[in-house]
Amino acid sequence: MEPSQLTRFEAAVLPHLDAAYTLARYLLRDDHDAQDVVQEAYLRALNYFDGFRGTGAAEGRSWLLAIVRNTAYTLRANRRPDAHATEFDETLHSEGGEDEHPETELLRAADRAAVRRALDALPVEFREVIVLRELQDLSYKEIAEVAGIPVGTVMSRLARARRRLERALGTRMKEHD
Amino acid sequence: MKHEDFAAQLDAYVDGELVGNEARDMELHARECATCAHAHERHLALRSAIRERLPALQAPGELRSRVRLAVRAAAGVTPARARPDWRWLAAAAVLVGVAVGTWKISDSRASAHAIAGQVLASHVRALMGTHLTDVASTDQHTVKPWFNGRLDFSPPVYDFAGRGYPLIGGRLDYIGQGAVAALVYGRRQHVIDVLLWPTQRGPTGGPAAVTRQGYHMLHWSAPDYTYWVVSDLGVTELGEFSRLWRQADSTAAR
Repeated sequence: MEPSQLTRFEAAVLPHLDAAYTLARYLLRDDHDAQDVVQEAYLRALNYFDGFRGTGAAEGRSWLLAIVRNTAYTLRANRRPDAHATEFDETLHSEGGEDEHPETELLRAADRAAVRRALDALPVEFREVIVLRELQDLSYKEIAEVAGIPVGTVMSRLARARRRLERALGTRMKEHD
Repeated sequence: MKHEDFAAQLDAYVDGELVGNEARDMELHARECATCAHAHERHLALRSAIRERLPALQAPGELRSRVRLAVRAAAGVTPARARPDWRWLAAAAVLVGVAVGTWKISDSRASAHAIAGQVLASHVRALMGTHLTDVASTDQHTVKPWFNGRLDFSPPVYDFAGRGYPLIGGRLDYIGQGAVAALVYGRRQHVIDVLLWPTQRGPTGGPAAVTRQGYHMLHWSAPDYTYWVVSDLGVTELGEFSRLWRQADSTAAR
């Protein structure tokens, strides 16, 4: 690779290392795996860089995060081939629970460990939209690019993910009643 | 607006994806409808719970170095003019039976011009990234040991906080194919990088000044180490900083 091309690459994607690490860490729930995936993703990104047409910093971020996301999914599939057998089903994972009424006060009082537990308990397809939206502040369009889904699906997944989180954090557990 | 319409649009509303009339309709409806206002409030509470309790993470310094090194190695970037020097150095190292852990930079042969470009690139890259340092500390006794096991030399680290140049931290960087120590200092809102590596052979001397793209660099070769100091600071202050460094070096050598 030409040194000038490497300089372009480093300017476009190196500043997004924290974002890459955050996404990988939450998707994989394991620090060691997350670090391996980030390094692997950067090397893949280097190989694909000729195909990157973006100019702005935000484009570099979405482009890199899409590669991080795919690398993480590949690792998950290799680790647990059985888990992949159950394809993520939009409707299956959006069952009702309308009778429960999450309490706003409980949501406000949720501590760090509880929020983390609730997020980790989500299916990975829900977890990623929450991480990209809330922790990394991506727009729907950017999330759609990273996750490879239509914008409409981004919105419905976010809505379902939030309903689950609200139920997990805003509903009093039986023993506390 | 009906409840169902409000509920269907609520996520997009909270996420700032609605514009103009759509957003205004939501706002008006929430003012009149307690049920929907409550749903809105709950969404905001969940959002702040997530955003406040789960901040975005910072990549560990180790990973930062690993990624940088892996990318450089995979890109196979080697300054064309310097390549024969490394081969020559490696051959020399084998001849005298010295184990060379990392590639070294031969200043006497690799042109200062090529190094200046890499030093500046390192500085700009660090400024563009989210952090400058792999180890952030104002304590030289924290920064110096951090390099143990990461470099095959133990770089001198000084603190000039008393003179208005506080130590901020250090990081690993790469000049040519060699790992070098980068020490980071502050001066008001400016950042000064000191990149240093063992002096290989050839004349000691300097300092010499280089200016590129608005950044000033001073470099000199002492018997032990070769230094490149880079900043957007004015040449006068950069000169003062370099003098402080050389004084500290000669005091330490005594």
